[in-house]
Amino acid sequence: MSQRETLAQSVVRQSLENTTRRNFLNQCVSGMSAGMGGLYLASQMAGSAQAGFQPQHAATDPLSPLSPPQPAKVKRVIYLHMVGAPSQLELFDYKPDLNALDGKECPQSFLEGKRFAFINGTPRMLGHQYQFSQHGDCGAWVSEMMPHTAECVDQLCFIKTMQTDQFNHGPAQLLCHTGATVMGSPSIGSWVTWGLGTENSDLPGFIVLLSGGRLPRVGKALWSSGFLPSVYQGVQCRSQGDPVLNVTNPPGVSRSRRRQQLDTLDTLNRESYEQYGDPETLTRIAQYEMAFRMQVAAPDVMDIRKESAETLAAYGAEPGKESFANNCLLARRLVEQDVRFVQLFDWGWDTHGSSKGESLNHGFRDKCKQTDQPVAALLKDLRQRGLLEDTLVIWGGEFGRTPMRENRGGGTMAYMGRDHSPDAFTIWMAGAGVKPGFTYGETDPVGYTATTNPVQLRDLHATLLHLLGFDYQQLTYPFKGLDQKLTGVKPTRLVKDILLDS
Amino acid sequence: MFDSIISRYPFIALIWWAAAIASTVVAAESPADAGAAAAADSSLTTAVEFATDIQPIFNEHCVACHGGVKQAADVSFIHRDAALAVIEPGAPEDSLLIDRITSDDEYEIMPPAEHGSPLAAEEVEVLTRWIAEGAQWQQPWSYEQPSAPEIPETGNDDWCRSPLDRFVLARLQREGVSPAPPAQPLQWLRRATFDLTGLPPTAAEVSAFSADLERACDDQAKQERVYAETIERLLASPQYGERWASVWLDQIRYADSKGLGLDGRRNIWKYRDWVIDAYNDDMPFDEFTIRQLAGDLLEQPTIDDLVATASNRLTQSNDEGGTDDEEFRIAAVLDRVSTVWQTWQGITIGCVQCHSHPYDPISHEEFYQSVAFFNNTADSDLGEEYPILRVPLESKNNDAAVNLDREIRSLEESIWRRERDVVSDKNAHWRPITELRAEADKQTDIDVEIRDGTTEFFTTDTLSNGTTITLTGEIPAGVEELTAIRLTLAPRNLETAKADSEWGFVLSQIKASLLVPGEDVVHVLLDRVIGDEAHPFKDPDQSLNEKSRDGFAAYTRIHYPRTAVLVLDKPLAINRASNLDEPVELKIELKHSVNALGAFALVSRRGSLAVSDVADLQAQLGGEALVDQRERLAKAESQRKEIASTKVPIMRERPEHLSRPTHVFIRGLFLTKADRVEPGVPASMPPLVSAGGENADASAGSPPTRLTLAKWIASDNNPFTARVAVNRVWARLFGIGIVATEEDFGSSGERPSHPQLLDHLATRFQGEQSWSQKELLRSIVLSSTYRQDAASRPGLKARDPENRLLARGPRFRLPAEMVRDAALAASGLLTEKLHGPPVQPPIPAGIWKPFAGDPWKTPGTDDPDRYRRSIYTYTKRSIPYPMFAAFDAPSREFCTPRRLRSNTPLQALTTLNDTTFVECAEALASRMLNEHDEVGDQLRFGWITVATRDPNTAELAALKSLYQTCLDDGDPPDDAMQAVAAVLLNLDEIMSK
Repeated sequence: MSQRETLAQSVVRQSLENTTRRNFLNQCVSGMSAGMGGLYLASQMAGSAQAGFQPQHAATDPLSPLSPPQPAKVKRVIYLHMVGAPSQLELFDYKPDLNALDGKECPQSFLEGKRFAFINGTPRMLGHQYQFSQHGDCGAWVSEMMPHTAECVDQLCFIKTMQTDQFNHGPAQLLCHTGATVMGSPSIGSWVTWGLGTENSDLPGFIVLLSGGRLPRVGKALWSSGFLPSVYQGVQCRSQGDPVLNVTNPPGVSRSRRRQQLDTLDTLNRESYEQYGDPETLTRIAQYEMAFRMQVAAPDVMDIRKESAETLAAYGAEPGKESFANNCLLARRLVEQDVRFVQLFDWGWDTHGSSKGESLNHGFRDKCKQTDQPVAALLKDLRQRGLLEDTLVIWGGEFGRTPMRENRGGGTMAYMGRDHSPDAFTIWMAGAGVKPGFTYGETDPVGYTATTNPVQLRDLHATLLHLLGFDYQQLTYPFKGLDQKLTGVKPTRLVKDILLDS
Repeated sequence: MFDSIISRYPFIALIWWAAAIASTVVAAESPADAGAAAAADSSLTTAVEFATDIQPIFNEHCVACHGGVKQAADVSFIHRDAALAVIEPGAPEDSLLIDRITSDDEYEIMPPAEHGSPLAAEEVEVLTRWIAEGAQWQQPWSYEQPSAPEIPETGNDDWCRSPLDRFVLARLQREGVSPAPPAQPLQWLRRATFDLTGLPPTAAEVSAFSADLERACDDQAKQERVYAETIERLLASPQYGERWASVWLDQIRYADSKGLGLDGRRNIWKYRDWVIDAYNDDMPFDEFTIRQLAGDLLEQPTIDDLVATASNRLTQSNDEGGTDDEEFRIAAVLDRVSTVWQTWQGITIGCVQCHSHPYDPISHEEFYQSVAFFNNTADSDLGEEYPILRVPLESKNNDAAVNLDREIRSLEESIWRRERDVVSDKNAHWRPITELRAEADKQTDIDVEIRDGTTEFFTTDTLSNGTTITLTGEIPAGVEELTAIRLTLAPRNLETAKADSEWGFVLSQIKASLLVPGEDVVHVLLDRVIGDEAHPFKDPDQSLNEKSRDGFAAYTRIHYPRTAVLVLDKPLAINRASNLDEPVELKIELKHSVNALGAFALVSRRGSLAVSDVADLQAQLGGEALVDQRERLAKAESQRKEIASTKVPIMRERPEHLSRPTHVFIRGLFLTKADRVEPGVPASMPPLVSAGGENADASAGSPPTRLTLAKWIASDNNPFTARVAVNRVWARLFGIGIVATEEDFGSSGERPSHPQLLDHLATRFQGEQSWSQKELLRSIVLSSTYRQDAASRPGLKARDPENRLLARGPRFRLPAEMVRDAALAASGLLTEKLHGPPVQPPIPAGIWKPFAGDPWKTPGTDDPDRYRRSIYTYTKRSIPYPMFAAFDAPSREFCTPRRLRSNTPLQALTTLNDTTFVECAEALASRMLNEHDEVGDQLRFGWITVATRDPNTAELAALKSLYQTCLDDGDPPDDAMQAVAAVLLNLDEIMSK
């Protein structure tokens, strides 16, 4: 048996390699780039007959910054979600007729074919609980509950006709942030960081901040990466304790000791690369270095004591507390550091009237007080620093509230409250790419449903992706046999009328 | 101590390697062998193949408009019949398809310009040739039954230990690539130990293996025996079950919480333990399948058979206030369908909820035929998770428990049937109450009218919590004695409620009295309530118990009229003598204290009354046989309560008379229903087979059940099951499946890299291996393919980065569970205890903020439960365990066929700073210090423990230098060693297998 290749054999083998190479490439739809890049590309291409935009991140960094496929107005997003669904009828959607109907039985036409979470039989109409007045050059109506926000209306672009098809919190919050009603799909921030990466590799690209004392009920599913790689999941940061999980060295390990450890690890992992030639090893080495930088960058950016007393006062922020005010200030600090997507959740807006805290006449006042000033301060601060030029701020909840008073269990509630209402709610946006001092869409005379220009959550998602430079139909990821999109499969439209360049 | 082996063994192994290289070349030169190789690869044949040549063209250019979803101009390229509208087999010139794709007319050309560029010349050519050859249509490759492929000749029997190696080598020969040299023995040991047990080999196992190899000297057969014995040891270890269960739990979306709503705890860990045991017992995969899908429908199911069905109860449920139980029941049913197709068949079917499959031959209606198999289970998104099974905490009590359960169910059934017979129309001569008044308190409105000849009460509008309905009716003339009262409660709309159920009722309390004119009200004593099902969730007799809110119920939904019979404790004479003009009236008070989800008052919506005057009803119901059975039932129940048990949600069918019809949902929405469907499987697949072996279409005999479906999936005739199963195992071992898209074996998924290897493995798995996963694993991990060195080779790295050609051994990052378990094992902290309720190891502060309740209780450092294997960690869907989330473990909302592997700074922070890993580093450091006296030996020991090999000089030097630096900085040896141990636990090599 010959142990060495003859020249003739070598030629035959070479030619075989050449002729079958194309076959091989055709059959193995595997990525040509090495390592992570290869893996992602392979999984993206598999089964994708009409592949859309495919982010091509650097092989060693799945968060490497990318340009969007289209010109983009928005580079960063701050999304303020009022968990529980704030009442549009006590904040922005002024309906004089509703006051006239206060206490009257709800017409049957409002109830036919509708499903409610708690309303039962025939409820009574409920007028506005607070006074409204007009503000700014645009003359937008804002209730007395939001005096600071009212001063900013000329920067705000209201959509009064948001609609959803879910009337329970969990599924509605999921629909709002992941485009699906059950857990397991990627959140907006995950899609965006997958598509664009992040400009600051010392910090996570998608950061989540919580206030109000409770996690939203579906928890981390709201900032999950779903079927996208887990590197794109939102990273929850805190103003108390470790700002990022495990960012602090264990007791007794100084920064210099950690450096020495990482140097040793680097030497050893390079040996490992020498031996196995696995590109993942190089990626891992890079990740440890990034982690080392993050250990400084994350606590630094999360430390609001570095802000002036005036700034703290403007936001109503108090270092060391977990509050919405602190989180608004942190949001500014994070976008200033080029964090791609900052998601705030503030819990406590579910005003059914079933308890003092969950009522329009008590708990709701507190929520408004806690959030109104920080939101206005955030907008002013961003504008002063020029960040509103390329940052978009979104404010909203997961659905609206009924113009009827809730009558849970067929009785009269102890406090004033409204049930969940999916057919009309108000959100606003401010900043890059959207018309300031503008209102889009109109609801019926009692603010129950959209009469002109309804906007589905998926339309909002499409518009948001557009502002970030994506065609919502092209940003797809193959999963379960479908090219999955944030906007789902139902007909979707871009809300062009709210865009500045339209 | 290992050096000698490591240096010697490659020499031995090189014999195979050299032989392999030599014969690769020989094969390329030999016409006979080349022919054999070509035959093994269908892509080299010249006839046009539909699946490889044609379907991809349709998928790329046509099906977006002419597919399963859109069928523009009624043309679809999913089924041949529909495509024949534009194809004339044998005559391309008469085929409209060819005209249109080659047209010069901008309005004619297909695809239209705005939908894509015209087909390439080669594509047109191949389509033309295919039509000329008769336009033969094939199902997607995976729909064709696999047949055992001929095992290729490679001319290199030395390299090929296993038949599967021949398929791999034949392919490598065609590609002109030689296999890698064999892995160092310890590299293989590490790989196989992780793959089979999820843990690294211990230092003792490493020594024993090395010593055995040394004893085997150069004797190849003895060496092989050492390898084989090692595999037997690993397969027999209980850790095997834990490792492979964790793979299955991703498929079946196992979690310890409910998902939506409060995401509260779901007590279902007994199912997880069942899976572990099933793997350890090497339960054949066909049985494993049947038990999980339909264990409850087996004859005389055991406790284990029933626990297995909990696989279907792992769906998300929603107990948020104000949610519709029916909506989330349906969501769970659809997820079961989707998971079954995904997990067992590799078919993505979720999209077919709304429309026909865009690529694969599965129609919209066929999806709902699948739904029909699952639509009649008794569960309905209830907070109590009914139906539940009391599973003994100690499995030794399973037999006693199941015997009692069988006795209880059989007695319940028998008692109920006897009682129903006594109170049947025929026997009890029910006399309807035609003169009826109804009142309701709170805000509930109520009225009475005659509908279809029956006098009925009905509620309208608002239903208040705690409503009491009071019905007053005339005792019909001629009734001289009252023995029983029959209450019929119905949905508001009898027709629509069958498919679109309404909120049901709970009769928390029933009171009856007799109003005789001029006399005091007579309180009617009721003895029992006989409901209309043998095993209700709620005991009807509780309606008579003032202290209970439960009772006769349609809980929480009502589909059909429901009846309860209230039996008087003794016959009550109706005394009309005093005043014949005024009637005697019966007054019934129905109190409803239960509401669903804080929102929906479970109040009777509509109903009627009847009475019986059959004098010996009480005597019949108190007959000896019934009394005896009731006593036996009570005794069996009290014995059963003695067996300490935990309640696990399982599958059970609803009784037939309450079964839910299944309809197609228009555009996938459950509120809009179209035609009714019966259970069935898609026509593109083999037909269902009934127990007698005949095709079981709906018309023949009894309709197919979940058990029929389970057996169909687990049958040798199912083209998907074995392929998907072996591919999953292959992917876990090699990092990527033979079909890379493990979740999609349909026409839009990736085609197998080695089709014949896949079919070889699948047919062998079904046949020779009798569905034994241990057999399958044994054949793979002892193969030469698996035993190759993992180092990538310069030429191949760029050409085949993912090792699809299998020209080297697998190397990739360990899954989350193994990363953590390996650290625990290496540090000596790992608790090797099987089974039990979920545990709560250390979690970073601030993470655990559940929406409600559910505290996280971390056991102290002296408690073994702090260091259990990862599979036992409490899995809450809304708050995934951070370490797992960082390392790509899914949060188990639904079936995850494969995990993506990422590489992030958060992973680095976890393994450097997370409490568990810090404790591991500390423990590993003290092990190192205790095991040896010399620093060099200590470091070497640490290295071997984590990496399963000796360090080389440079590696040892790097460790020494760090240790010395720490000492120089004034650290005590403990701390210095801990700094080193932390580095060891973060090595690239410990993260990889």
